[in-house]
Amino acid sequence: MLQKMYDWIDERVDITPLWRDIADHEVPEHVNPAHHFSAFVYCFGGLTFFVTVIQILSGMFLTMYYVPDIENAWRSVYYLQTQVAHGQIVRGMHHWGASVVIVMLFLHTLRVFFQGAYKKPRELNWMVGVLIFFVMLALGLTGYLLPWDNKAYFATVVTLQIAEGIPVIGEMAKTLLNGDPNIVGAQTLARFFAIHVFFLPAALFVLMAVHFIMIRKQGISGPL
Amino acid sequence: MKRGKGMTFVGDSRIPANKQKFIPKDYSEYPGRTEAFWPNFLLKEWLVGAVFLVGFLCLTVAHPAPLEKMADPTDTAYLPLPDWYFLFLYQLLKYKFASGAFFVMGAIIIPGLAFGALLLAPFLDRGKERRPHKRPITTGLMLLAFIAVFWLTYEAAGHVDWKAKAENNKPVLPEENAVEIDESDPGYAIYEANSCIQCHGGDLNGGAAAPSLIGIDKSVDEIKDIAVNGIDTMPAGQFEGTDEELQQLAEFIVSVNEQATEE
Amino acid sequence: MCRGGVNNVREKAQVSRRQFLNYTLTGVGGFMAAGMLAPMVRFAIDPVLQASGTEDMHAVVEVSEITTEPQRFDWTIKQVDAWYTSDVIHSAWIYKNEKDEIIALSPICKHLGCAVSWASNEEYPNEFYCPCHGGRYYKNGLNVPNTPPNAALDLFQKEVKDGTLYLGAQCQTL
Repeated sequence: MLQKMYDWIDERVDITPLWRDIADHEVPEHVNPAHHFSAFVYCFGGLTFFVTVIQILSGMFLTMYYVPDIENAWRSVYYLQTQVAHGQIVRGMHHWGASVVIVMLFLHTLRVFFQGAYKKPRELNWMVGVLIFFVMLALGLTGYLLPWDNKAYFATVVTLQIAEGIPVIGEMAKTLLNGDPNIVGAQTLARFFAIHVFFLPAALFVLMAVHFIMIRKQGISGPL
Repeated sequence: MKRGKGMTFVGDSRIPANKQKFIPKDYSEYPGRTEAFWPNFLLKEWLVGAVFLVGFLCLTVAHPAPLEKMADPTDTAYLPLPDWYFLFLYQLLKYKFASGAFFVMGAIIIPGLAFGALLLAPFLDRGKERRPHKRPITTGLMLLAFIAVFWLTYEAAGHVDWKAKAENNKPVLPEENAVEIDESDPGYAIYEANSCIQCHGGDLNGGAAAPSLIGIDKSVDEIKDIAVNGIDTMPAGQFEGTDEELQQLAEFIVSVNEQATEE
Repeated sequence: MCRGGVNNVREKAQVSRRQFLNYTLTGVGGFMAAGMLAPMVRFAIDPVLQASGTEDMHAVVEVSEITTEPQRFDWTIKQVDAWYTSDVIHSAWIYKNEKDEIIALSPICKHLGCAVSWASNEEYPNEFYCPCHGGRYYKNGLNVPNTPPNAALDLFQKEVKDGTLYLGAQCQTL
């Protein structure tokens, strides 16, 4: 039955090459931890992706309870963490995942760096990777404010002060992020929410797609 | 696969009429013991992923994600800290060469240069050599940056009393704090007269540099001792009244706390 | 380049049909992108373009009440944060200096944000004193060296109209 359904679709849209290209490519020996244990360093990229998937999923589910509003944000987080079944785990996954993803990205970056894997022809992919790192840090920064607790609020005040310190455009950049020239409040939270949930993930998806397509095109870098 | 002119299609669609079977690439083209990504290698990756996930879930169960008190912009005594991966930047901005008049240096130029160098690494390190020890400058710079970031983070974290910070910022539902303060109580007048009010606030809820006096589990004698001798960052000698007034003050604070726990 | 186009020297400068269509496509695409994004971008940057600047001045006290001795005055302002309005109490230490100028100092200690008060410590009768960690400031707001604060007290923007003192935003000075 399943086979027939697959054949029916395949006949019309030719989906076999799509997945065969991913499934049948060869994985060389030097990245396979089964052959060389030291090859575990090649896992960091994959684990980064795995945690990113966890982040996306847990984030999607968190918004079912979370409200980005100064009066209710904290209460909604408090509620989902203490009253909702498994709320602690879901929020915990998103909270700790944010840290773990940075750790994994950091290790992945170091692996690529010390192996010189960014050299020709992979310069572009390295740059895309660094941009992904940047977007991840921005996601961490904007996500930090959302629970609207003291830690979130005051860290954001400091962040915005730093933004204000940029010469020439500082004040504008601050207002743009803040939503108000002086008050870190309702508009700031709404903005950070929008940036955290829509703008940055959109950028992240594009960058990740480019990153993966380039890996498939260029193949993995050879052994040292 | 044949593409372009001469390709025949089914009807007006783009599906080729004479479909060719997908032929997997020849494994012999690759050196060493290679294996197919699906399912051989992916299975190993997923095993690693599964072990990782178990550990990760244990973490989320063992350590609930921290949540502090609801944001209170008037709490000026709060020590703001960024997430751990920005601590190094936070620490950097404490140094003389990166703060005050040199703020731009610390906040923009140094991180900007570091990020720019990382982004453009392939064009700064153009040699053919890939081994770390064959390109000592690149490796050295990265190690230096790594040590600097690690050390700055360590320094920043070392200056923070994490336990006390967590203790002072336990999440409390705001309603629990709403206690009617009897301002006609003689203890309140003493509270006001002895500058307690300046730090602990008119509603005893704390604020500027001092914790809330509501929700503390202290006896009358303990409060008397703190008022006279100070505690933590509160200096000694704050209370300047008579012993009788001291007793009234402490009883007043205890009564407010009793009222708070009743509700 | 332009497949199917006539490719001799004389006609090189001319735009082929294909090029023309490409330019038009880009143009129309650009128009659609601009048409979509223009309102959105304007929407997003609205706070930057809103005339902000000067904080409103608030009536605080009759000038006749101000003496050469600093006194504390409180006033309430309505803070409007988008769709939230709240009352925020501000206070200031106000006095007239030797030149008969009105000085309005913020009571917020620059060390950890406690509230300072004038002559509240008998040992320092002519200074602002912060009870938390013994921070001290001279009458003009400058911090006494070797006490915890590392900056002078903030000053308020001020204005006198019809015998009443109005105060605005506080700004770092001295």
